[in-house]
Amino acid sequence: MTHTRPRRRIRLTPYLFLLPALLWYLIFLGYPMFYSFIISLTDWDGLSRGSNWVGLSNYTSAIFQDQVTILALRNNLIWTAGTLVIPTTLGLLFAVALDQKLPARTLLRSIFYSPAVLPLVAVGLIWAWMYNPQFGFINEVLKAVGLGRFARGWLSMFETALPATFLTAIWTGVGFSMTVYLAALQGIPREQYEAARMDGATGPRLFWNITLPWLREAHVIVLSLAVINSFKVFDLIYTMTYGGPGRSTQVMGTWMYFNAFQYYHAGYGSAIAWIIAIITLVVAIPYVRRMSRD
Amino acid sequence: MNRNTTIRTFAIASIATLLAACAGMPGAPSAAPAQPNAPAATAAAPAAADATTAPVASGEKITLRIASIWDATSMEQMQPVLDDYMKQNPNIQIAVDNTAGSGAAVYPDVLKTALASGNPPDAFFMWGGEIAGPFIDADQVLNLNDFYKQYGWDKVYGPWTLDRISRNGSKFGVPYTAHGMGFWYNKDNFAKWGVEVPKTFAEQEAMCEKLKGQNVYCVSIGGKFGWHTMRILDYFIEHQCGPDKHDQLNALTLSWADPCVVASYQSFQKWVDNGWVVPDFLTVSPDDSRFPFFKGDAALVLEGDWYESVLKNNEQDNKKYNFYLPPTDQTPLRFSTFPEQFMISKDGKHPNETAAFLNWLTSPETAKKFPTAFASSATIGANPDCNEWPLTCGLRKEVLDAKSTYPPTDQAFQKELMDGFFEVQDNIVAKKLTPEEGANLMQQRVDEWKAKNKK
Amino acid sequence: MTESLLLPKRNATVATRLRRSWPTLLIWIGLIFLAALWLIPFIIILLTSLRSMNDLISNGVFAWPQRFLPENFAKAWSIGNFSVYFRNSLILILTKVPLGILIAALAAYPLAKMRFRFNNAIFVIFLIGLAIPVQVTLMPLLVMMKQLGIAGTLPALIPPYVVFGLPFQIFVMRGFFRTLPNELIEAARLDGCSEFTVFWRIMLPLSGPALVTLFIIDALGTWNELLIALVLINSEAWLTVPVGLLRFQGQWASRYTELMAGVVISIAPILFIYIFLQRYLVSGLTAGALKE
Repeated sequence: MTHTRPRRRIRLTPYLFLLPALLWYLIFLGYPMFYSFIISLTDWDGLSRGSNWVGLSNYTSAIFQDQVTILALRNNLIWTAGTLVIPTTLGLLFAVALDQKLPARTLLRSIFYSPAVLPLVAVGLIWAWMYNPQFGFINEVLKAVGLGRFARGWLSMFETALPATFLTAIWTGVGFSMTVYLAALQGIPREQYEAARMDGATGPRLFWNITLPWLREAHVIVLSLAVINSFKVFDLIYTMTYGGPGRSTQVMGTWMYFNAFQYYHAGYGSAIAWIIAIITLVVAIPYVRRMSRD
Repeated sequence: MNRNTTIRTFAIASIATLLAACAGMPGAPSAAPAQPNAPAATAAAPAAADATTAPVASGEKITLRIASIWDATSMEQMQPVLDDYMKQNPNIQIAVDNTAGSGAAVYPDVLKTALASGNPPDAFFMWGGEIAGPFIDADQVLNLNDFYKQYGWDKVYGPWTLDRISRNGSKFGVPYTAHGMGFWYNKDNFAKWGVEVPKTFAEQEAMCEKLKGQNVYCVSIGGKFGWHTMRILDYFIEHQCGPDKHDQLNALTLSWADPCVVASYQSFQKWVDNGWVVPDFLTVSPDDSRFPFFKGDAALVLEGDWYESVLKNNEQDNKKYNFYLPPTDQTPLRFSTFPEQFMISKDGKHPNETAAFLNWLTSPETAKKFPTAFASSATIGANPDCNEWPLTCGLRKEVLDAKSTYPPTDQAFQKELMDGFFEVQDNIVAKKLTPEEGANLMQQRVDEWKAKNKK
Repeated sequence: MTESLLLPKRNATVATRLRRSWPTLLIWIGLIFLAALWLIPFIIILLTSLRSMNDLISNGVFAWPQRFLPENFAKAWSIGNFSVYFRNSLILILTKVPLGILIAALAAYPLAKMRFRFNNAIFVIFLIGLAIPVQVTLMPLLVMMKQLGIAGTLPALIPPYVVFGLPFQIFVMRGFFRTLPNELIEAARLDGCSEFTVFWRIMLPLSGPALVTLFIIDALGTWNELLIALVLINSEAWLTVPVGLLRFQGQWASRYTELMAGVVISIAPILFIYIFLQRYLVSGLTAGALKE
């Protein structure tokens, strides 16, 4: 029996399909975020029954008074700046290089991407071993080539701890941007190049005028995710330096954990978590806009 | 299938999902034990291929969950002890959850989440002093005064250990070990280098200078978690500030910006600058500090009565080693001691059985039966075989006889303040702060902590 | 056929061809060198894990192992309790991943193929989830799990894992569904099929590649997740591989040879899967990242 369905009735169906996801989202993401915000307005310690309302003072003391939070924010910004520049550029270069017909191309791609599939705890342990002052590969190499005076405790010195950890992040992160850029490069129609060649353009010109514009979307993805993930950093720092030496490598992600789960400052820790969230959400706006456009 | 069926299917699917969310585990087949609250995982049984669930208290059998920090080697010694108890008490199963290796750095966090999740172990290992403070203040452990009366524990343990596990006049733990720390050295190496055990602080420093001339580091430290470095700093504070001021500093009744604190930091910086400490030690893990020591690149480690078993486990000849208490030029000569204890969770389900187990665990008879496992027992009269463990016996005698000792600072402070202490200490080592700045920053951290924790 | 960006058009003359191809050769050599660099950490931990501590201390990290010690692996496996960690991570993957993907697919279908008022708004809401840091849900999750009575156990991980996987999975499934021709759906509807039948009998079966890809990506993410597991699980019996590895590090802090053996054990399955299934991984990433 066929008959036209009245518009009113169809409208229920999409929502029924969406219901599980929406409910799950609401219960396990929306509600915790809301609850977390409420906690951040109190001085709850995470265990006792009661707590006191403190309004926004957790936020103000975090941003304006707590030296460690300021330090952590600064570290995150450094990390972000580094991530925006190094792994992304390297990824682009690798992608450009691998876009050509080279022997063992797939193997090379796999090798560069492989660190990204590992748990960061393992990566952290591997590199902490490489950086080990007594037995580590890096110091041994330096000594072997006569640069022994540069050998040091990379993760134990204030100046080198964060950069050393960041180097590990580069090892892990280049693969992703390389993959995205490579896919983008392979989506550029050949005719564009042909046409430009006919007009007499060569190498660098081609890159600048044809390739780069087509990579715009890839840029948005890679750069936005770089920033968002930089503010969420936790695993590598926790495993490799535990925030040290001193507190010099604390980042917002680890500082939140220390406060909420080690110092009995659930309220304060939640405020720090929300500061992270606000930053990442703001940064994500252009990215989300782009992704949701048809 | 028509529209009604669709709606019905969806309604059911969504409700099912919702229910599944509420039950947590969406009815999927799994090998997980059916009683998520009582997993029995014996951490070190070599063939522990799967964690089997002990039958929960449906009748007689009870599982006691103990949380501790025993590493693989320690578990090898503890397992026979636990097996013995289980043999004597067939209705009791003991399961151990271990978080090893990082000392007081990671284990308390693991414990806190366990307690916060409402699924606490029945008893857990804990250090004395303020490290245990938060658990007592958050009302998560039982007040054991009644058990003390019941079992007569006041007579069993060394007196100063009881002090360290008490709070506000009540006792919240059962002392398990009593440790004391001193400088360990290799006698042969000392002879080789032509140095002797120093009696004064000046002699100590002279010794370091002499060793420096022979390219030997005076002391080996593994600063990764802060507490190994802290031991040396504590020694300097005791020397520069004296017993009374040291106690006041720990109680936060004396400002840390006091000149004697500055002098202590200066001493430390001096030791580092003079090359008397192994280089780059800030993220060397404490266990790694033994390598230069064994190799003969460093002369001393500041370690405790457990070190003889470390020596043995690392195939070092313990007859070549000895220890001495660091000279402080103060009277009385105090050294750093600390107890470790077992506490009983308030939300634990079997407090009486747990207390009985702890009573057995710390009794002199058990210690005699398993001397190696209880080499550092806080129980009076429990000593290992002094022929096999001469150094342990020697240090234990000092420890349990001691009238006056000081706790390591990380037992005087709670973690948040302790991290501040470590921060200052590391910064001074790395020359980010001068000793004066460090002392001032430390006092600032103390003030901040007091304000934040309303003390 | 890939056009090279950097080479001018190829010329037939051998001389010119040789002269013009050396940039490519250089690039290729450079890439090989970099790839070797990239592999060094793997090689180092493998070599370290096969030796004895004495060997390591006496001969340094470069030296070829005096004796090969596969016993390190057996020891690490048993004392490190890896069988438990592997089991837990595996259980988690087998329950959480299909569940999450199903929920995501269910949600993606209307977002891709139906017109209704809040389509775009809801899609944006899901996308925003990609930017939300886990930290902002941790404390409440702990409280919620405690109230549900499952805190500290494996099931406690499933709700947060599912929720943080939804944004990406919905995005990919939606993108994939959109590529499926509408005629199929129209035909089915005209035949009187309910939407659910269309979904279950047509859309899902046709989505094989996307589902496989999402499965692999999600399985990897689940295996590797640290922070949520660190907070919600504390009892040895329920640890997942990353948290277990952290504890393992505590056990073996200075016995680097056994420690590296444990690390190798924990990454071996992943690398194994990666080697054989990486094309799904790559295609999934790019599908999710770029619009087709």
